[in-house]
Amino acid sequence: MSSSLDHKDLFLKIIVAVLSIVALIPVFSIVYELVIRGLPVITGAGLKFFTKTAPAPGDRLYGIGPALVGTVELALISTAIGIPIAFFTGVLIETFRESRISQIVNIIAKSLMEIPTVLIGMLVYILLVVPTKTFSIISGGIALALVMMPYTLTYIEESLNQVQYKYIEAGYGLGMNKKQVAFKVMVPIAKRGVVVGILIGITKALGETAPLLFTIGAARNTINWNPLEPGDAIPLLIFDYIQSPYDNMKDIAWGSALVLFVLFAILYSSIRLFVKRVRI
Amino acid sequence: MDNSVPPPREDKIFLYSLLPFASVIIAALILLGIILLDTSLPALKEYGIGLFMRNVWKPREDGPGEYGLLAPIIGTLETAIIAVIIALPMSLSLLILTEEMMPNKWRDLVSTLIDVMAGLPTILYGLWGIEVLIPFLRDHFMSFLHEKIGFIPLLSCQPLSGSSILAAGMLLSIMIIPFIYVIIRESYSTIPQSLVEAAIAYSSGWRHYVKFKIGLIKPALLGGLLLGFGRAAGETVAVALVIGNSFHLSSCIFAPGYTISSLIANQFANSMYYPLMSSVLFAGGLFLLSTGLALNYAGVKLIRRSRKLCQAV
Repeated sequence: MSSSLDHKDLFLKIIVAVLSIVALIPVFSIVYELVIRGLPVITGAGLKFFTKTAPAPGDRLYGIGPALVGTVELALISTAIGIPIAFFTGVLIETFRESRISQIVNIIAKSLMEIPTVLIGMLVYILLVVPTKTFSIISGGIALALVMMPYTLTYIEESLNQVQYKYIEAGYGLGMNKKQVAFKVMVPIAKRGVVVGILIGITKALGETAPLLFTIGAARNTINWNPLEPGDAIPLLIFDYIQSPYDNMKDIAWGSALVLFVLFAILYSSIRLFVKRVRI
Repeated sequence: MDNSVPPPREDKIFLYSLLPFASVIIAALILLGIILLDTSLPALKEYGIGLFMRNVWKPREDGPGEYGLLAPIIGTLETAIIAVIIALPMSLSLLILTEEMMPNKWRDLVSTLIDVMAGLPTILYGLWGIEVLIPFLRDHFMSFLHEKIGFIPLLSCQPLSGSSILAAGMLLSIMIIPFIYVIIRESYSTIPQSLVEAAIAYSSGWRHYVKFKIGLIKPALLGGLLLGFGRAAGETVAVALVIGNSFHLSSCIFAPGYTISSLIANQFANSMYYPLMSSVLFAGGLFLLSTGLALNYAGVKLIRRSRKLCQAV
């Protein structure tokens, strides 16, 4: 390559650098605002911020207990339902790669990933909320499971795909059948990828709001551990509170957003312990 | 090869034991299609194709009322177009910056940052959009543009609250930049070494070299654009917070509007009180699903073609 001091080269480099910086400013601004606006709310309220139920409009600056409990429940339910389905489907796609069913499932899973998540909420509303005549945490958990499945599945399937063929061949050479090759050769070799896939699914489910709009009922006046009853979640609380005209609600929304961000950061960093690149 | 011999019985049993899991995923998509079609049928029967061509929203509790989804459909297209117009040059710049202008150490830092952007819960973008981006746009950007070049119809209306088509489009662009970046970077990094060497040998400078390589992934750029468009069109809560939720159809991007998904987010809970409203919203959902699947299909196809082009050489 000739000299990079060429004026046109320099001009292009400057444009690229400026546009890139502009593109990255929002993420810095978001983190900055979360800390500046959210932290005082949490430190001011102390532990009560997390343990109490929803405040009256214009009243106090704490009380996301129901949302925190709901978010934990939702994470557990969606993981319990979504992960086994994603894992075994990933194994199917990979071990029976040449079969038609595997190709169909793969295409459908990829399409499911690009479907607006609000539609998943509508689906679960019709399938569960209407027949049971009540909003419930479990309905929200099932909606989130549907959202996380394609992500976890894709990641697990890709990491199984990276297992070198010589190991798979060696497995068959030893007289193993497909099941043994899958669970004794491929999954153990790709176990980091499997764990990452699970964590990515949880991270995805944790931050979703739209699938919860018509499923969990935004019940925030009592702390409720029963998943068959209505409940709340942190993203949903932020969505509702920030649209409130009351300042205390908006402040709580910022505090909750910081909590959500910290949860996200913890999950994200634990994924980074396993892999360098994280695609959520 | 193993594959050529007929599968033994055990393998068949293994396949059948895995099928129930896979069928959940197949059933989810099929059920979604069926339910959206079924629930939107009453509205489609009542209003016909006019449901997507008219702009009217007159709910009635004691009758069918009048509905037309034109404003939210246009709003969806407008915001997504603004989003990709901004996001494409930005993500392309980030690609050139990280792949061609930075030492590895810096590159990892910036890619990590972009990965964080991609994974950040969308509600955080929405919160930041309504509380930080909108006041900024209103006070420093919209009124300036309106005063200086307000004769352009797109910029002709007085910016009021800041909640607007433009704000939604810009917020969406910020959200899809990392998404498009990841797609085009994946294609960029699969350009085979032989082509990279050819690019080095035949280009008369850095600029030509970069242009040549970008030229090789053109289908992937288009594919990323389509998938980014689909993402933007389907985003719900962040848009619902910044678009202003108005059925008023305006040629001006400073005016508030609606998108299909933000309409669903806002009206679905009330829609049970009106005979046909929920059916109308499901029809909107059907529109989202079909456009989403079509965009996804085209986008994925283009990206594949980009890979093949590179591999063919």
